[in-house]
Amino acid sequence: MTNPGEEAAVTSDFVRSYVITGGRTLPDSDDLALHTLVILAPDRTPPLGAGPEVMAIWKLCAGGYLSVAEVAGHLGLPVGVARLLLTDLFEQGHLLRRAEPPRAQNVDRATLEKVLNGLQSLIG
Amino acid sequence: MTSLTRDPLLWILLVVLIAAVVAVMRARRTNMALRRTKKDLEAGLGEARGDVGELHAHIATLTTQHQHALADVRADAEAGTKAVLKSAMGTLQSLAEEQQVLLDSLLKKYGDTTEILADLMTVDHTGSQFGRRAKGISVLCGGWLGRRESVATVYDVARSAQGRIRDFSRVSVHSQVNVSLVGKAVEPVAVVLAELLDNATNYSAPGTPVEVNIQAVPTGVVFIVDDAGLGMDQETKDRAAALLSVDGPVDITGLGDPPRFGFAVCGMLAARYGFAVSVGSVSPYGGVRAVIRVPESLLAADVPAPAADAQDTTAPEAAPQRLAPVPVVGPTHVVGTTSGGLPKRRRRSGPVTVVPALDETAGQEGTPEPASEVTASRLGAFARGTQLGRTTNTTEGPDTK
Repeated sequence: MTNPGEEAAVTSDFVRSYVITGGRTLPDSDDLALHTLVILAPDRTPPLGAGPEVMAIWKLCAGGYLSVAEVAGHLGLPVGVARLLLTDLFEQGHLLRRAEPPRAQNVDRATLEKVLNGLQSLIG
Repeated sequence: MTSLTRDPLLWILLVVLIAAVVAVMRARRTNMALRRTKKDLEAGLGEARGDVGELHAHIATLTTQHQHALADVRADAEAGTKAVLKSAMGTLQSLAEEQQVLLDSLLKKYGDTTEILADLMTVDHTGSQFGRRAKGISVLCGGWLGRRESVATVYDVARSAQGRIRDFSRVSVHSQVNVSLVGKAVEPVAVVLAELLDNATNYSAPGTPVEVNIQAVPTGVVFIVDDAGLGMDQETKDRAAALLSVDGPVDITGLGDPPRFGFAVCGMLAARYGFAVSVGSVSPYGGVRAVIRVPESLLAADVPAPAADAQDTTAPEAAPQRLAPVPVVGPTHVVGTTSGGLPKRRRRSGPVTVVPALDETAGQEGTPEPASEVTASRLGAFARGTQLGRTTNTTEGPDTK
């Protein structure tokens, strides 16, 4: 409680996330995994009536590949909400994405040991 | 003569005469008595009239006293009720705020789990509505809304208001201006707009749109709320106008049961913070048009930063570490071929693009880095390098390179 006439500071997020999504169903998390890299497609103009969050994504992704998790982190939004906005942009053709790297082939133990030894002799 | 005395007529006349004289005498006496009585009675009447007048005056005094006392008691009771309600609502307000802060962190914590995130958003929505109610009652009882430290764009104010009502998905926000409200006006305008939106969605058919248009006017900015309802009758309009133009405390017991706080809250906040609210004009859809006019004095002077930057005002944002869009290993680096047929590359002179620049100032000052850090950074660079090498050709999307 505060003293009369004194206002307590309000720190909760001003625009709630369900308003940003417009109450729409969130996309499945398999759709754009956390580590999927996204980048703005070349020569695109932002969609008309894009909200501040979309414009922020636009600026963030123009410079190079960023993962979905990073985009969400920079926007200060829950990943699911950022994913919905990214999915929209992706479906409109504004974004390119790069899937996760393929899993490395199994290498036999001997090779790994050789690499390890080599590294140890290098870095020592 | 004898004959005359013997005349019975004479005797009869005489008797009648005597009787008449007696009768007149008696009548005079009675008359006198009656006059006396009348005089007495008149005097009594005058006295009584005077008494009645006095009594009337006394009654009037008593009534006035009574009314004053009653008003005082009512005011006391109202003030008492308001004090109790204000304190109780203050507690609820802090709890609602606490819950929203908690939900902010939970939404981020479970952000990647779609089902949980969706459920948390539902909880958040109910919490926001609860918070708005608590704030409204608190304001009517002389309480405070809570202060936002930072400015907010008019678009965000409208969206924040939108989030505080039940049927928020029917509301669409269109902003033609890119200005911000000063911190102290952010919450009041959002609460008032939320009340107007609540009214608009409640008094129009489900599924019909409710629009918020934000426009610049010479004296500031206006938020225009249009619904497609049936409009308001004259009585409701008068009541609304009375509540919106209130400039003193609001009688909370006179708001009906269930109480209709909306307009009273709007009037109170508008008067307190110096903006104007009006309802009663007709919207282009035939429903009600409500307008909030925010004067220039409540607009932030500077050009607002974009939303993403505004959210990270607390700490200077580190530049995002990006993977360069162009493969960093170019053909120029290839200097030959190994016996196994693999390209031979020259050692890169600069740092690998994907490795964030190490603390440059530390390097300039010549402080030797601990061996473990050097090792870790080299290994990290190695790992990123191999990953990059493996993934440069896996771009997918509608416009593949």
